[in-house]
Parts: sequence; C-alpha cells; structure tokens
Amino acid sequence: MSVITIDHVTKSFGNVEVLKEFTQEFQDGEFITLLGPSGCGKTTMLRIIAGFEKPTTGEVRIDGKVVSSKDVFVPPEKREIGMVFQSYAVWPHMNVFDNVAYPLKIKRMPKNVIREKVEGILEVVHLSQYADRMPSQLSGGQQQRVALGRALVAEPKLLLLDEPLSNLDAKLRESMRYEIKEIQRKLGITVVYVTHDQIEAMTMSDRVYIINRGVIQQVGHPIEIYRHPANQFVADFVGKVNFIKGLAEAGRIRIKGIDQSVKYDGEMRGDVVLAIRPENIELTSAEGHLTGILSSMYYLGDVNDCRVEVGDTTLRVTADAHTYDTLRVGDKVGLIIDSFLVYPDDGNDDYNKILT
Amino acid sequence: MQKKHYFDIKWAVILVIVAFLLVFQVFPLLYLVYRSFFSTGKFSLEGFSRIYTYEMNWSCLKNTIITAGFAMIFGVILAFPLAWLVGRTNLYGKKFFRFLFVTTYMVPPYVGAMAWLRLLNPKVGTLNVFIKNLLHLSENPFNIYSIWGLVWVLTTFYYPYAFITISRAMEKMDPSLEEASRISGASPLKTLFTVTLPLMMPSIVAAALLVFVAAASCYGIPSIIGAPGQLYTVTTRIMDYVSVGSQQGLTDATVLAVFLMAIALLVLYISNFVVGKKDYITVSGKSTRPNIVDLGKWRIPITILVSIFALIVVIIPFATVFMTSFTTNMGKSLFAPGNFTLKFWNTALTRKSILGSTKNSVISAVWAATLGMIVCLVMAYLLKRTNVKGKAVPDFLITVGSGTPSVVIALALIMTMSGRFGVNIYNTIFIMIVAYMIKYMLMGMRTVVSAFSQVSPSLEEAAQISGAGWLRRLKDVLFPLIIPSIVAGWFLIFMPCFYELTMSNLLYSTDTKTLGVELFTYQTYHSQQTASALAGGILIMVIGLNVILDKVTKGKFSI
Ligand SMILES: Nc1ncnc2c1ncn2[C@@H]1O[C@H](COP(=O)(O)OP(=O)(O)O)[C@@H](O)[C@H]1O
Ligand SMILES: [Mg+2]
Repeated sequence: MSVITIDHVTKSFGNVEVLKEFTQEFQDGEFITLLGPSGCGKTTMLRIIAGFEKPTTGEVRIDGKVVSSKDVFVPPEKREIGMVFQSYAVWPHMNVFDNVAYPLKIKRMPKNVIREKVEGILEVVHLSQYADRMPSQLSGGQQQRVALGRALVAEPKLLLLDEPLSNLDAKLRESMRYEIKEIQRKLGITVVYVTHDQIEAMTMSDRVYIINRGVIQQVGHPIEIYRHPANQFVADFVGKVNFIKGLAEAGRIRIKGIDQSVKYDGEMRGDVVLAIRPENIELTSAEGHLTGILSSMYYLGDVNDCRVEVGDTTLRVTADAHTYDTLRVGDKVGLIIDSFLVYPDDGNDDYNKILT
Repeated sequence: MQKKHYFDIKWAVILVIVAFLLVFQVFPLLYLVYRSFFSTGKFSLEGFSRIYTYEMNWSCLKNTIITAGFAMIFGVILAFPLAWLVGRTNLYGKKFFRFLFVTTYMVPPYVGAMAWLRLLNPKVGTLNVFIKNLLHLSENPFNIYSIWGLVWVLTTFYYPYAFITISRAMEKMDPSLEEASRISGASPLKTLFTVTLPLMMPSIVAAALLVFVAAASCYGIPSIIGAPGQLYTVTTRIMDYVSVGSQQGLTDATVLAVFLMAIALLVLYISNFVVGKKDYITVSGKSTRPNIVDLGKWRIPITILVSIFALIVVIIPFATVFMTSFTTNMGKSLFAPGNFTLKFWNTALTRKSILGSTKNSVISAVWAATLGMIVCLVMAYLLKRTNVKGKAVPDFLITVGSGTPSVVIALALIMTMSGRFGVNIYNTIFIMIVAYMIKYMLMGMRTVVSAFSQVSPSLEEAAQISGAGWLRRLKDVLFPLIIPSIVAGWFLIFMPCFYELTMSNLLYSTDTKTLGVELFTYQTYHSQQTASALAGGILIMVIGLNVILDKVTKGKFSI
C-alpha cells in the first residue's frame, strides 16, 4: 500500500523527448493501468518508478519520500517494489523455488521462514507442484507466474507489471487477468500495470491512463473513458469508432459531402468530427437519422457486423444478429444513431486511417 | 523452370564440401595418430617410450601445461571484469577500449613477444630500467626469459580470446535478468555474483578453454621468449624434431603432437559437451534494452585503472615495436642524436624477398578466407536451415580443426599430402591454404551461424513460395541480410592467415615463403629492427582493417 507521486517528470533519450510533463498521483491500493500504443513511453514511465531510468527533470516520491529527483536517487534495490518484466526475466540457472525465494534471501530471512513464505506464494500462483523445476522446463504461462510469485513474495507495497500477459495465449491471458486482479484485491497493494491491450485495461483497472506519444490523453475509470473519451485518439484507441466529418450548426450537424444531417443540441459550431461507436447504431428498413447502402455483412453469431456506405464514407455497424436474415447486401437502410460524440475537426485524418 | 526431378543443387554443394573436409582434415589427423603408433609399419609403442622417457620432453610438457594453465587463469580474471565494464557499465571510453582489445586479438602474437623482449630484457629492458630507477631498486625487477615472462606474454596476447567470447555472451544476455535481481533488493555487486556470473559461467569456461588451447599450441611466443632462456615447450620441441629432418625426427614430432592433440580434444570435449549443455544464454527473453550499470563514484577511478591496463598491455608494446623499427642502435634511446633512421622501413617496404613473401601471404590468405567463407556459408546453411541427420557434423569438424594445434595440423598435412596417397601439394601454396582453412574457419563459421540465427527462416520461405530456387534465394534474400557478417567473417579468417607463422614455418618452401616466416627469420637471425618495421606494417594494416570492419558491420563487431 503506497502512494506514488510523479511530479513534473519528463524523460529524454538524447534529444528525443519520450515522456512529456507527467504529474500524477497513484493512490493507495489502486490498480492503475498505463494504456497506449507501442512506443508511447509506458515502459519508460514504469522504469522511472522502478529506478532503472532517471527522470530528465522532475521528481518521483513513494509515500512522500523522494526516490528520484535532481539530487536524490534511491537505487531500485532499495525501493521495495515488486516487478514483473515483459520478458519474465526468470533466472534460467535457478529452479522455481530459488527464483521465488531470491528476494527473501537478499533480506537474509531465516530458512524456515523463506520456505513457508515461498510455499505460500507458490500456492497463490498455482505452482506448488513445480517448485523443483528449472525454468527451461516450464511453459510461458508458468514462467510468467514464477515472475509474479517472485515479485509478490517479499510483500511489496507496490507492484509494477510490464505487459505481463502479452506472450500468453488468449485463454491463459483471460485466467491470468482474473488472478492478478484477485491477488491485488486480496493483498490490497498498489499496482501499476502497463499494457497496450484495451481489454486488459478495461477489466482490471480502477483508473486508466491513456498515453500517446509521451503525453497523457485522458485519465479515468474505464467506463468513463469508454463513454466519454476526451479526444479522437482515445475514442479510437479504446473500443471501435466511426469518424464522420460534419459541419455543426444550431440544432444539427450536416454531414459533409452529402445532403444529410443529424440532430445536435450542443454548443459546438463549424467543422467537427462525429464519433459514433458501431454498437450505438441500429439498422432499420424504415427511415432513420441517416440513410445508406448496406455493402457487407458478417454473421458473428452474437451480432451482425455490417458496413454501410453513407455518401463516400463507410460506417461500421454492430447490428442485432437477426438483422442478418432480414437484410440483403445492396439494400437501402436507415441508421438510427443512439448516441455520438462530437470533436472539433483539427484537420488530422490519422484516426480515420487507423480505422479502415 | 519446371524440372521433372527436383534436383537440388544444394546437396551437390554440401557433398563437395564435406568431401573436402574429410580428405584434407579428418584423414590427415587420423593418419597422424595412426603413424604415432605404427611408425615402423607394425604396432609399436616404441616411439612413445623413447619420447616420454626423455627427461627434457617431460619438462616441455610441464612447461606447456604450466604456462597455458596460468595464461588461462590470468586471461579470464582479466577478461571477465573487462567484458563486464565495457559491455554493461558507464565506463568512459568503452568503445575505444573495446576497439583496443579486439585489435590485440588480430595482432600476431610474436609481435607482442618481440615487444616484451625489448621492454623486459633482464639487462637492458626499457620498462625494467624505468621501474628500477623509479623505485630505486638495486637491480632490474623483471626477467622476460623465464616461465613467468612466458606466462605474461601469453596472457597479454590471449586474454582477448576470452574477452571476445565473454562479451558476446554478455551482449546476448537479457538485461532484465539483472534488473529482476535489483528490484528484488540485490545491490549491483550482489547481482553480479548471484545472477550475471552464474549465467556467464558456461561462456567463461568456454573462454578459459579457448585461451588454454591457444596458449598451449602457440609457437611464436615460446620460441622467441623461451629459447634464449633455455625454456622449451611442446610446440618448440616439435619444431626442433621436425627440423632434424630425419624420418625418426618426424616420428618423434608426431608422437609429441599426439599429446598436444589429445589435450586439445579433451578440452574441446569438455567445452562442447559438458559445458555446452548448460548454456543458459539461449533461454533469454526478448528484451534488448541496454542496461547500463552506473559506476557512480567509481566511474573515474575504474576508468583510470582500465586505461593503465590498456597502456601497459596494448599501447606500450605496440609503441615499442614502432620505436624499435626507427632505431639504428638498439642499445641507445631512439631520441639519441643520429639514432633515428628510416632505413629499416625502407628495407621492409622495398626488399624483393620481403615483397615476394608479402605477396604469397596475401594470395594464400585471400584464398583461404574466400574458400573458407564459402565453406562456412554452406555449412551454416546446412546447420541452421535443414533437417538432415548429421547436419551438425561439419560444424563439429570445423570446431575440431580449429581446436587442433597448428603444429599438429601442419605435421598431419606434411605426412599425407606429399605424395604418399596420390596427392602431392607439398611445397605449394595449396597446402598452406588448406592448413589455414582448417585452422581458422571456425571464426567465420561462428559469425555466419549467429547471423543465420538472426534471420528468420520465414523470410527465405517467403522467397521460396514466390518461386525462387535455392541459389536465387541465397542471392536475393539471405546474402543481402547477412552481408556484414560475411565481410566480418572473411576478415576474421584473412587476418590470422595473413601473418600466420607456425604452420607456414613447417610448410613453406623457397617459393612460398610467407610474411610470418620472413618476419620471424629477421627477428631471430638478422635484424630486429627490420622485423619491427615489418611488424609495424602489419599493425598499421590490422588497425586499418579493423576500422573498416567496424564501419562495415556498423560498429557491431560480430566476433
Ligand atoms: N534506452 C533508450 N534509448 C533511446 N530511446 C529509447 C530508450 N528506451 C526507450 N526509448 C524510446 O522511447 C520511446 C518509448 O519507449 P517505451 O517506453 O519502451 O514504449 P512502450 O513501452 O510504450 O512501448 C520509444 O520511442 C523508444 O524507442
Ligand atoms: Mg513497453
């Protein structure tokens, strides 16, 4: 249980600034996720907290005590942090037991205490029967749990995880997600979790930090981020989204390029971008808010994944599964927009490109 | 280009190369062993009993084991911390130090011997006199003509083998293994001992054995340093027996050579099958972020320490060679009036016989390197890209060839390739090319194999599915990707061949005298200054090529 304060931290490698002005506080017992595309600076942030990198400017405090600043630097081994590395970093020359016992040996705990604690933690990570195995005899998922056990055994107040699930298959990933969350809940520790996988972020976190190019885009509870993304990047990175360019007027937004519009009672005026999630559009054979031509359908069992041409933009629509039976490709369909978001159009088309 | 039978040219090429290895390497070495037992046509241990009852030979064996053993111990003790400092810490001037140590590897060892002879001569050695005056000693502190002198020079010239081997393993190690230890609460030093060192152990042992074999089979150093001090090793002794010229001399040489070979094979066995099994390096993750240990307040003191080491072990000897080459009277200082001269350089660069030898060396080294790289490429392909049974055999043979002491290779070739079995290449340049290839292909092989490991087979498969045949795939996909390694590998074979001494000394004829032999003859019989000028020329060339190599491989010296 510890509070981490990151105060005006920036980080540059040479003259490339990879983290810009980061000021945040992670609360006691919180599950924090840093989410962003690869290369955005997540690992760098984590390594600054761990003490493997020094911030270029600014200061890091753990429970109010300065650990990194211009004048103070506490090396990683003095920070009492647990960390799981992306590559697991399980030592190949030690067996599972010795790997997990290592932090306790460093603390010079008595042998019997070490044994007890290690066995306890192996229980937690479901590795009791593998204590004598060498890492080369373990699967990826098992190695990952060794790494987790090693990070937890000394009962750190803070646990750092760097994409710990990225090397696992889908099934294992799901169960590990659950287990990590359980462990955190049980031990009440603060966790900083790095990932580029939005599902991991959504399911585990108390607060998610969306980062892009070293800049925090939005901070919030997963639901809040999903429902109210602060900008187009966040809208696009978390969940799926359609972007349509429009012109906001009093009472409505005209869709650019075609003679259609949707109702709008917001404040914005001028060039805007509409962001509509595919699941927030319903298809109807009757009149909708917009009209388009159904260009393709994919039956996914639980839903019908459709593409609809509206003017020269293609909208993705997650429709009810039964619409697959009633609609035909080429049909003229109406679209009922349940909800949408409006962003000022900054002329940047990148987000649209990612989508298609 | 549809063919009925999918004849695959690669098998033809592979077959030719395997045949080559069998004829020119396996057969001669086996025959050498056979000869040592059947010197008179019948099985007899007479040769063994004659050689091994002779007191003198025992002292040679003892000297070899002692000097190689200590060179091994000291070499590793030096190399590990150096490799760690250069590879893993924020030491100042890391790149420069690395360059120096790697360059040492490429310098002919006998050049080092020549330098140390001047520096630590018991009567007039420059360094000796300097230290005596500095510390007000009553006599010179060191005597190079001693077993410790020999150990010293062997160590300073063979620790780079260990340095390179250990550095390479350290580069491959996942740095997060060390970070995991730090975050578990271990200090950098504790991490070094509980994680880094144990993980490096297999490569440390491999490096140690490499140094041992190299030092035990070295001829140049013990013959330059040992002979004046009446200190003989197995290699110098073998040379003596061979130079007797008689059939019995040859037999005696063979019997001693078998001893060296046995040691080498034992060492090879240990390093490949006992230590090799424990190689953890392959079990690394995929993080490649360089992890630099901050030396903190030790950064400057340690940098100074490493600088002093580099100064004594690399710079002073090299500088001595250059100074000697400009000195008229070696009894006086270079800076004494009238003592500076260019005449030795003039000789070295113009004398016909020297130019002829240089030409021979260039030709044979170019051939050995080129043919050697072809063999290495094909065999690496076989090893890394096919599933044939026994695909590792050529790799093993190349390793054995390299591990075999030079004298042994030369002797084996003399006995089998001088007409007795229908092949007579003795006294030609071919026998040298063959000998060089056997001895030095390993470095090329290692370089290419590691390059292959870094190119995913799917890249090549993508070309294959696009319809490219084997040669076409090599040309379009594989070669362009590994060309820096090919160039590096080529130089790694070329360099030692270019200045090779031991084998050339046994194999040369008047028409095929090489640079190494020429230099050695000047050093021992004629003029040390001319020899130094020649050595200086080689040094300049080595450094020049090293710089080129550094550029070509983009600073990643992949040895
Ligand atoms: N040691 C380093 N030297 C130079 N650049 C680095 C170093 N470490 C990271 N970077 C750069 O910083 C950026 C952020 O890296 P990282 O934090 O690893 O991203 P992420 O974990 O979000 O994928 C990347 O552009 C990366 O290339
Ligand atoms: Mg990362």
